[in-house]
Amino acid sequence: MTTSKALVFDIKRFAVHDGDGIRTTIFFKGCPLRCIWCQNPEGISTLRKPIYFQNNCIHCRCCEKYAKEGQMIYQNDRPYFNKDYQGDFDNLVNICPSSAIRYDSQYYDVDMLMKEIESDRVFYRDSGGVTFSGGEPLMQGEFLIDILKRCHQQHIHTAIETTLYTSLELIQKALPYLDQIYIDLKIYDEALHQKYVGGSVALIKKHIEYILKSEHWKKVIIRTPLIPQITATIQNLQSISQFLSHINPEVYYELLNYNPLASSKYEYVDFDYGIDLKYKKYTDDEMEVFYQMTYQNGIKNLIKE
Amino acid sequence: MEKLMSQRIQILKEKMLSSPRYASIEQARIITRVYQENESLSVPKKRALSLKKAMEELEIGFEKEELIVGNRTKGVRYGVVFPESGCSWIDKEFETLPTRPQDQFLVKEEDIQEFREKIYPYWKGKTMEDVIKHRGGEDIQAIAKVVKINQKDHAQGHICPDTALWLKLGPQGLMKQAQEKLKTCDESQKEFYECVILVMQGACTFMKRYYDMIMENIHDVEGSYQQSLKTVANNCLNLTKRPPETFHEAVQSLWFLFVLLHMESNASSFSPGRMDQYLYPYYQKDIEAGKISMADALDILECLWLKFNQIVYLRNQNSAKYFAGFPIGFNIAIGGLDENGNDTYNELSLLCLQCQYDLGLPQPNLSVRLNRHSSHELMQKAIEVVSKGSGMPQFFNDEAIIHALIDLGIEKKDALNYAIVGCVELTTHGNNLGWSDAAMFNLNKALELTLNHGKCLLTHEQIGLDLGGLDTYETFDDLENAFQKQIDYFIEKMMQCEIIVEKAHQDCLPTAFLSSVIDDCLEKGLDVTKGGAKYNLSGIQMIQIANLADSLAAMKKLVYDDGVIEAGKLLKALQADFQGYEIIQTMLLNKVPKYGNDVEWVDRLGAKWAEYFRERMKDYTNYRGGPYHTGMYTVSAHVPMGENVGASPDGRNALTPLADGGMSPVYGRDLKGPTAVLKSVSRLNNSLTTNGGLLNMKFLPEFFQTKNGMNKFENFLRAFVDLKIPHIQFNVVRREDLQDAKIHPQLHKSLTIRVAGYTAYFVELAHKLQDEIIERTTYDNI
Repeated sequence: MTTSKALVFDIKRFAVHDGDGIRTTIFFKGCPLRCIWCQNPEGISTLRKPIYFQNNCIHCRCCEKYAKEGQMIYQNDRPYFNKDYQGDFDNLVNICPSSAIRYDSQYYDVDMLMKEIESDRVFYRDSGGVTFSGGEPLMQGEFLIDILKRCHQQHIHTAIETTLYTSLELIQKALPYLDQIYIDLKIYDEALHQKYVGGSVALIKKHIEYILKSEHWKKVIIRTPLIPQITATIQNLQSISQFLSHINPEVYYELLNYNPLASSKYEYVDFDYGIDLKYKKYTDDEMEVFYQMTYQNGIKNLIKE
Repeated sequence: MEKLMSQRIQILKEKMLSSPRYASIEQARIITRVYQENESLSVPKKRALSLKKAMEELEIGFEKEELIVGNRTKGVRYGVVFPESGCSWIDKEFETLPTRPQDQFLVKEEDIQEFREKIYPYWKGKTMEDVIKHRGGEDIQAIAKVVKINQKDHAQGHICPDTALWLKLGPQGLMKQAQEKLKTCDESQKEFYECVILVMQGACTFMKRYYDMIMENIHDVEGSYQQSLKTVANNCLNLTKRPPETFHEAVQSLWFLFVLLHMESNASSFSPGRMDQYLYPYYQKDIEAGKISMADALDILECLWLKFNQIVYLRNQNSAKYFAGFPIGFNIAIGGLDENGNDTYNELSLLCLQCQYDLGLPQPNLSVRLNRHSSHELMQKAIEVVSKGSGMPQFFNDEAIIHALIDLGIEKKDALNYAIVGCVELTTHGNNLGWSDAAMFNLNKALELTLNHGKCLLTHEQIGLDLGGLDTYETFDDLENAFQKQIDYFIEKMMQCEIIVEKAHQDCLPTAFLSSVIDDCLEKGLDVTKGGAKYNLSGIQMIQIANLADSLAAMKKLVYDDGVIEAGKLLKALQADFQGYEIIQTMLLNKVPKYGNDVEWVDRLGAKWAEYFRERMKDYTNYRGGPYHTGMYTVSAHVPMGENVGASPDGRNALTPLADGGMSPVYGRDLKGPTAVLKSVSRLNNSLTTNGGLLNMKFLPEFFQTKNGMNKFENFLRAFVDLKIPHIQFNVVRREDLQDAKIHPQLHKSLTIRVAGYTAYFVELAHKLQDEIIERTTYDNI
C-alpha cells in the first residue's frame, strides 16, 4: 500500500454534471496551465494555503490574539496572511470560531480518499462513480494511478477531466483504469494558446492524437469551453473540428456553454479574473450556429446537453 | 406527460377554489338535540342516533358537473363544529376564526349566537376535552413543555378502514352481519351491534337522499350533464340496495364511506390506502367490457380527487399552528409489494399519478410505495409528477417498512399490505387503531432540563428532575446518565396521561360506524376505542433527533473531548441565549460536524437516544392492550415545539424552530448535499419509525428539465430504497416563486407546497411558516 498523499481542494458529492449517473468529483489541487477564465482558480496553485471568507467572519479578532510572529496582520477589520511565512497556519484555522479562516485544501492518502469515494457507492448505478478533476489531476499522477487502481478493483466507474498537459508515460499508465475521459482542447493556435491558456498546445494535440488512435478512443469526449472572442471563434472551432475529425471522424466532441460564475471565487485567490463579466451564456440559437460549424468541419458525434 | 384534465374537471376545480369557507354549526345543532331528547340512553346509543339523524337531516347539495357526490356540509371546505369531543376553544375563538393567522373560516353572526346560547351551555363540562381536563388536566399541564399529549379534544383519526370489506358488503351487508350477530351475541355485545344497525340504516338514507335530490332537480340541467347526473343518481340508489358493481359505483361508494367516517368522528386523516389495488378489479372489468374508457375512468377519479379537497378539518388556533393548512390526510398509497411479495402496479396507479399531475391540489396525499423491483415506468411517471412541485407524490420504502412492521408484531400478510394514513403514518390496511401521534416527546427540552438542573431556561420553573447541570457533570457519561433519567421520568408521566386520554375516548366517543369497517370489531362485538381492532398501537413521536444529535455532538467534542469550551461557561451562554457569548455560539455552529453530513459518530449520537427511547416503549402497554411504538415526523410542529425550547448547545437560539420533518437535518446544516443526508438518515434504525418517519428534501426544477436529470433522480430514489430509509418527499420550487407568493398571494392561489407530511396552499400559510419554508435548504447547485 502506498503512503503518498494528494492535495485535494474539494470533494463534491452528488455531482450530476461531471459524467454519467450520480458521481463524486474529486478536485485535485495544482494546474500547469493558467486559463484566464479558470472556473476553479483555487485549484491552480500546488500549495496548501490559508484562505479567508469575509462572509463568515464575526470579527472576534481571535486570529490576531493567537497569531504567531509574522503569520498575519489584522487590518481593515480582517486578517491578511503573510505569504512568505514558512510554517503552517494550523493555529489560526483551529482557533477561528466561524471557520472564516480555512485551508484551501486538504491532504488525503489513498485510504482516506477511497473512504470518501466509497461513501456514496450506493448511489453509483447506471455508470455513476467517481470523477477526478482539478486543477489538473494528472499533476499528482502517481497518486492518481494508485487511486484509479483501487477504484478499478472495487468496480467503481472512473472518469477524468484533464488537459493531458503531462507526460505520455503517465497517460499510458492511467488509461487502463479509466472508464470515461474528458479532455479539454481549448485553443488550436499555438500563440493564442500560450497567451490565454499559458502553455504549449502541441503537447496536448500530440496526446489527443495518441488516445484517439488507441483502443481507448471510445471513452473519450473532447471538450471546448465557449469563451466569447477567445475560444468561441469561427477560426478556432473550425481548426479544432478539422483536427479531431482528421484523426478519428467518429470522435465525440462537446461544446461547453460557458457560465461566468467563477468571478466570486477570485476574491480569495491571488489571480485576476480575465473575463469580462458582461458575457452571458449563449442562447440555444447561438449554440446551434456553433453546432453547425463543427458539423461542417467533419464532426459527426457531437454531444449536446 | 401532458395534462389530460377535461373541461368538466376544470369547471369543478374553479368552482371549488372560489367557494367561500365557513364554520358550520349545523351538525352540532343536530347532535345537541339528539342528546337532549335521549338523556336516558347510553353514550354509544346517543352517538349512533345523532349520527343517524345527521345522515338524515344535514343539508346536502350537488354540482351538475359532478360524477361523485357527497359531503357533510352543503358548502365545500366548511369547518364543522363538533361538540362532543370538545368545544370550549370554539367558545373562545369563534369570533377570531376569520382573522386568525392560520386556517381562517368565515362565520355567521347568528351561528355564534346560537352556539353560545343553545349549544355550548349543554356541552360545557361534558365534552371529552372537559372529561380529560377534569381527570388529568394538571398532570398533562405539568409535563406540557416536554411532552405534548395529543388527541385530547377530537376523536381518533389516522385510520385506514377496511375499504375492500365496505365495497364488498356495503351498508346493507354490514347491517345484515350485525343483525346476524345480534341473534347470538352476549348481552355485553348487544348494544354495539344495535348501534351498528342504526348507523347503517342512516347510511342508506343518506345515499338515497342524494338520489332524490338529483332527480328532483335534474330537469333544470341541460345537455350532456343531465345524462351523467342520472347515472350519478342511480349509482347512489343502487348503493342503498347492494354493493357496487361498476367502477363508477365503487368510487362513489368509497367516497360515501369517507364522508360518513368524517361525519361520525370529525377526525383528521381517514385514509383510503391502497386504492389502485382494491379498485382495480372494478376498473378492469368495466374496461374489458367496454363500459368505460380510460378517459372516463380518469374523469371519475379526478372528481373523487376534488372531493378529497372538500372536507377540511377545523382546528383550534394553537393546533392549526402545529398542523397548518387544514391537512385532512386522505392518503392514497400506490404501487408496492403484493401479498406474495411481488412488486405490483397497474393502469389505475398511473391514473392516480395523472390525477395529481392534472390537478396539483393538496389532497389526496399521494404516496408511492417503492421497493427494489419498482418499475422504471412507475418511477419515471412519479418523478414527472414530483417535478411539478406540488410536493407529491411522496415515497415510502417497502424494504425499510415491511420488516420493521413484522418486528413490531404485525403478521406478514398485513405488513406486506401496509398503507399510509394522514401524512406519513404507517398502518396496516383495515384492521388497526394506530393512535398515531399520541404524544410528542421533545427530547431537546428534556436535554435542556438535564443541563440546567431541571429548570426551564425560558421561565426558570422547576419542571424536571434536578440531577445536576452542565456545571456539575464531570464527564460526558455523567451528562448522558442524567439525560437518561430525565427521559425515564417524563416517559413515566406521559404514560399516565395516555391512559387518561384513551379512557376518555372510550367513555365519550365510541364510534359504531368506524368500528364496522375495522376488523375485528364486528367479530368481537367491541367498539374500536375499546380495543376491537386486530391491532391496537399507540405512536409516540420523538422530537427532534437532528437538533439532539447536534447538541450532544457539540458538547461531546468541544466541552468534554477537546476542552475548548468550559462546561460552566456553556451553561451561562445557554442561560443568556448567547447574548455576550457570541464566540461560543459561533464555535458550536461551526467547529463540530452536524447530523446530515454523513459523519457517523454524530449521526450515531442521535440514533442512540432514539433507540433508547424506543426500547423504553416496550415497558408499557396502552389502554386497549396494545404496544407503544415511535415515529419521527413533526408535521409543522417544529416551529411551536421550538418556541418551547431555550438556547441549545447546537448553537440554536432560544424560541427558534427545531429541524423540520422528523428525520431531516437542521435546515442549512446539511452541507454535503443530498447523498450525505440520505447516508445520515439511513443510520436511524427502522424500528424507530414504525409509526412513521419524515424526510424532507428540496430540489430546484432545473433538475427535472432533462431526461438525463430525471434518470439521475431515479438513481437517487433507488439508492434511497437500498439505504432502507422509510420515507422521502421532495419540494421542487424556486425561492423567488415563494417570495413572490408571499407578497402577491392572489397571483399564487393554487401554488401548493409540502409543509411537512402534507401539502397545503402556500398562500394560506401563516407568514412565519412561509418564511421558514423559504429558508429551508435548497440544493441550488443542481
